[in-house]
Formats: sequence, structure tokens, C-alpha cells
Amino acid sequence: MSNFIIDMRDIYKRYFIGQPNELQILNRISFQVKQGEFVAIVGPSGSGKSTLMNIIGALDKPTEGTYLLNGTDIGKLSDKELSNIRNKEIGFVFQTFNLIPRSNALKNVELPMMYAGVSKHERTARAKELLKLVGMEDRMTHQPNELSGGQKQRVAIARAMANNPSIILADEPTGALDSKTGHLVMDIFHKLHKEEGKTIVLITHSPELAAETERTISIYDGSIISDTANPSLNAAPTAEAEQTDGEVNA
Amino acid sequence: MSFLESIKSALSSIAANKMRSLLTMLGIIIGISAVITITTLGSSLTATIQNAFSTLGANYFDVYLNEEWIYDESTNSYYPDPNSSLEDHLITMDMLDELNERYPDCFYNCSTNGIGGGSLLNTEKDTVNVHIAGVFDGFVPYEDFDILAGRNITLRDNAECKYSALVSNIFVKQYFTRGEEPIGQTISVTLDSGSAAEFTIVGVYDYSELYKRYAMGDQREEDMTTHLLIPYTAANEISHVSERGFSYVEFTCNSKKDASALNEDLRAFFEEQYEKYPSINVEIYSSVEDFDIAITVINIVTIVISIIAAISLLVGGVGVMNIMLVSVTERTREIGIRKALGAKRRNIRLQFVIEAIVICLIGGIIGILIGILNGELVGFIAKQVIASNEDYSMLFSAVKVVPSLTAIIISVLFSTLTGIFFGLYPANKAAKMNPIDALRYD
Repeated sequence: MSNFIIDMRDIYKRYFIGQPNELQILNRISFQVKQGEFVAIVGPSGSGKSTLMNIIGALDKPTEGTYLLNGTDIGKLSDKELSNIRNKEIGFVFQTFNLIPRSNALKNVELPMMYAGVSKHERTARAKELLKLVGMEDRMTHQPNELSGGQKQRVAIARAMANNPSIILADEPTGALDSKTGHLVMDIFHKLHKEEGKTIVLITHSPELAAETERTISIYDGSIISDTANPSLNAAPTAEAEQTDGEVNA
Repeated sequence: MSFLESIKSALSSIAANKMRSLLTMLGIIIGISAVITITTLGSSLTATIQNAFSTLGANYFDVYLNEEWIYDESTNSYYPDPNSSLEDHLITMDMLDELNERYPDCFYNCSTNGIGGGSLLNTEKDTVNVHIAGVFDGFVPYEDFDILAGRNITLRDNAECKYSALVSNIFVKQYFTRGEEPIGQTISVTLDSGSAAEFTIVGVYDYSELYKRYAMGDQREEDMTTHLLIPYTAANEISHVSERGFSYVEFTCNSKKDASALNEDLRAFFEEQYEKYPSINVEIYSSVEDFDIAITVINIVTIVISIIAAISLLVGGVGVMNIMLVSVTERTREIGIRKALGAKRRNIRLQFVIEAIVICLIGGIIGILIGILNGELVGFIAKQVIASNEDYSMLFSAVKVVPSLTAIIISVLFSTLTGIFFGLYPANKAAKMNPIDALRYD
């Protein structure tokens, strides 16, 4: 019915329910994200943005409220169905890359497709294509420990794209990178947004990064304190000016 | 995630921790190799004994007919059943022919209708003792005797009731002290019954070294009593035994056939023949039964020791479980990532169970190889020991090392089961992890 990818209404998240130390992490969060939007969620540590990310990414369920992901009510799904949602609808990009050790870049990108049951031939072809898209075609057979931080994150982005998910959910994707490499990574997100029309949710504590996106949702102490559209600007001008491979190992 | 990929992933994770994996496998290796060593020794012992039995010409069957007498209350006495007396229903040549027709190439008939012993005086006036046995034409091949000179007792000798005799090479030395040619000579034998009979020597058989040792122990050659083989018809005539048949027949079998099965065949055949005469019982005595008892004892001992050895597998299995728990904890973060990427519980469970199975299977295979090697080693030592001892080397002419295929198959299955059993708990623990906690784990 709605054309929202993310539709959150009155989401609460509490821990230790009914105990004296009951903790309310999210307090009546409501927002919607449209198809093809590039949204940043900002907030300081402890504001509840990680919890919110877990709920958006179907890793966790809200205590109260409804969350429709592409029209599906996440709160009503079983563990197995949540696995399916994570597999097909969400592409995670983490601050610490989280590549599977002892699996080369290609195998890492293939992994979500393997869980989705894509045939060996098909997923290898798709993984190669994706690695090419993020500029990693030369290092497909490298192990994660043979890659620099920026390279790892590019592999992680390719992996997030594997099953062509509805949302790319990036949690501080540049947090472990130096600023130049960080910009290169951000460029890839911009490219995915513009060229592939991906819906991207970027979680960050950095207002500068948030400013590169189309819209910033600020949360503080479990509540949304502002939700504003960002002025249109040329994304990451610095990185485009000097696009080299001069990356630093993270 | 497909099965094959799970195996590949398991192999790579085992390879990543080579030393640890090897130590984990050690329990399984020791357990399986112990079981395989013991079962190999057990089956080798069986094969060796089987070999020894057949070398001794011991695949023989004695068939007896026994008559049950009927009890009469009025006279308080037993008497033979007049309708089916043993005298009238002896084992006939027709029956033996039928047996040979039904089981061709299986049985050699031979009878040693005994008239007991006899003695003769040689030219030195020394007494030479002999066992006198009435035989069919099959006795010589039955005992694995070779004819050294002349010929065997034939069917024709029997049909014509000739007083022909086949003597041993030992007898020739004892009797013909001057080295005369024995064939064609006539000997006069004083029987135990007191009467005498004359026989013409038609052949000399080789009283083999093996048989000598087996039958006579340390007896000196001059004192040995060997068999004087005569046609059974002649033996019947001498001992005034009915010519209608036999109450006792010996058989031997083709050594390539399964003696236990032949024993059953023989029993079935004669029981069928005497079904009509309930008062006549067929009794079969066979070395197969002695052999079967020996084998049963070996098998029981093998099984009991194997079970004791298998307990070490249990210890090995606990080791596998322990290391799998460590592995699950170490890879908590990886499990979290996999779950975030859409792995279902069963994907995670399968991955860890397969890893446990692969560890156990590799351990199992190494164990099997070591076990077989151990068996060969013990077999080799046994050969050396036996070769150095003359008494044994006669009996056990060959030591066979036979790895037990059943034990190998069971070991492979058992290692797989150990992997499943001890891998399931850690795998379940991994599968049930909360992805958020797992992702946060450092």
C-alpha cells in the first residue's frame, strides 16, 4: 500500500522489562524512508542509534510499535523468516568490516547468495560483477588479512549488494578508516545511490558525513529530535579530486 | 550452504588450527586404531587357525548311525524297533552316490571300517604294528597323502573284494629292512582277533612329516604304527560285517568350500534319508565344530576387548566436543556476521556439525591406517616367532594378517556418529546465538 521501504510507527525498545532496572532505549520512534533515499541517522554514543540500526536490520524486534520493511511487519516474523529478511532485504556494512576470515574476497561476496541458495555458477558471476563495481576486481582471491581497511570495506559493500537488497544499512562505515579512504568509501555509496538507485541508511556520529546525504535524522536519548532534508551538494569533492590508491591499513 | 561447501569450509578451519586439530583427533585416532588393531588380530588369528586346521587335513566329517531302542514296560526291557532296525537301513552305496550327485565336488567318501590293529614280523623278527582300515577309493586324497609308488586302492579293488594293501613309506622302512621292492609283495598280518590275512602291496603312500608330528608326537620312526589301507569290502569280509552298508562313514570335503555349510548340507542330507526311521539317529562329528568353538572364543574375546578399546573413543569424543565449544566461542563474531548475512540456524548448525564430523572422520581414517599397520607388525613378529620354533612352524605353516572389513566399516560409521553426537551440542549452541550479541563479541 505504501511506497515506503522503511515505515516505523511508534517504536519502543525496552530492556529488563518489569524489573527495577528497566531500561528504555528507544522512545516512540516514527519515521519513513522512501525507495531510493539516502538517509543519515546521527546521534552521540548511547543515543540508541545502534539499537535502532538493529531493528532496521531485522537483527532485533521492537518491544512495541510496528515496523514495516517493504510492507512486511517485522515484529510478527519467526527467527527463520527474520534470517530470510536479513538475507534478501538488508545489506549490512559494518564499521569493522566483518569479513569472514580465511575466505577470500570472492567467497565473502558469495556468502549471502550461498545462504539464499543461488547456484555456484550464478553467484560467482554476480560476485565478480559486484567486486568490479567497487573497484576490487584485481583482488578477488585475496584473503581479508591481505587487504587494507578501505579494500576490506569495499569488499563488504560488494557483499552487502549481493542479493540486491532493498536497503543498504551502513553502520559507521568510515569509522575505522582515515579520512581520505573514508571519502573513497563514501564515494561508492554515492555511486550506488545515484547509479543503482539504492536506498541507503547511514548510521554515523559524524555531522560532516551526514551532511553528504539527502536527509538527516538526529536522535538523542532514544527520541528523534530532528528530521531534515540536507541542502543538495556535490558529494565528497575532496576524494574525487585525488582518487588514488593511497590507502592506509586500518 | 551446500554440503560440499560445508566440508570445504570445515577443512579450511581445521587446516587453520593444524596442531589443535591434530591433538583433538588424537583421542579418536587412538580409539579407532586400538579397535582396528584388536579386530585385525582377531580375524588374523581366525584365518591362521583355519589355515592350520585345513593343512592338517582336518576338514572331515564322521557320520554315525545310532539306533534308539524301544522300551517295553511289560517286560521292563529295551529292544530294537523291528520296523526300522539299523541292520536293515544302513548307509548304502546308493545313498553315497546320491550325495555325490547332489553335491558334486564337495565330498570325498571314505570309510575306515575298522578291524583294529594287526601285526607282522619282519625279516629281523621284529614286530611291526599297523592300523588296518578298510577304505573307499577316496581315503588317500582325503588325508592329503601322496602316493609315492604303485597305486591307490580303487573302486575295482572294492568291487572285486581284493586283498590289496596300500602301505606307508614308514612301514616300508620298518618291514623291508633290506631295501626290497615292496610293490607286489605279499604280507601276512596277524589280526587283533587272532586270525591272519594275507595282502598284496599295491602302493606306498607318503606318511607326511606333518601328519607324523600331529599324530605321533615325539615317537621314534621305528616304533610308529601307520595305516595299512585295504578295500572296505575286504575289511568287511575279514570282520564278518554285513555288506549291505555302513553304520559309520567318513567324509572329507573340498577345502575350497565352507566346511560349516557342508556340515549342514551333510546333516540335512542324512536326516532326510532317515526321516522315515525315527528310531535311527544320525550323528555327525566334525572338526568343523571344534574349529567353530575355537573361532567363537576368539570372536568373543575380540569383541570384548574392542568394546574396552571403544571406551577410549568416548574420551576422544569428549575431546572433540571440548574443542568444538572453544571453536564456537572463538568464532562467535563470525557466527554473528553469518547470521547478519542471512544464515539460518540450520546453516550454522550444519557447519559446526560437519566440522566435528570431518575431524572425527580424519581421525578415524588415520586410526584405521595405524590399526592395520599395527596388525601387520604383530603378524610379522608372530611369523618370526613361529619360524624360530619348529613345533609351531609345522602347525602354523602360514600366519595370515587379515584386516577386518566389518570393523573398518563400523569404525568409519562410528567416527561419523561420534562427530554428530559430540558436535551437535556445540553446533546448537552456535546456532542459537543471538546475532546482536554475537556481532558485538570481541
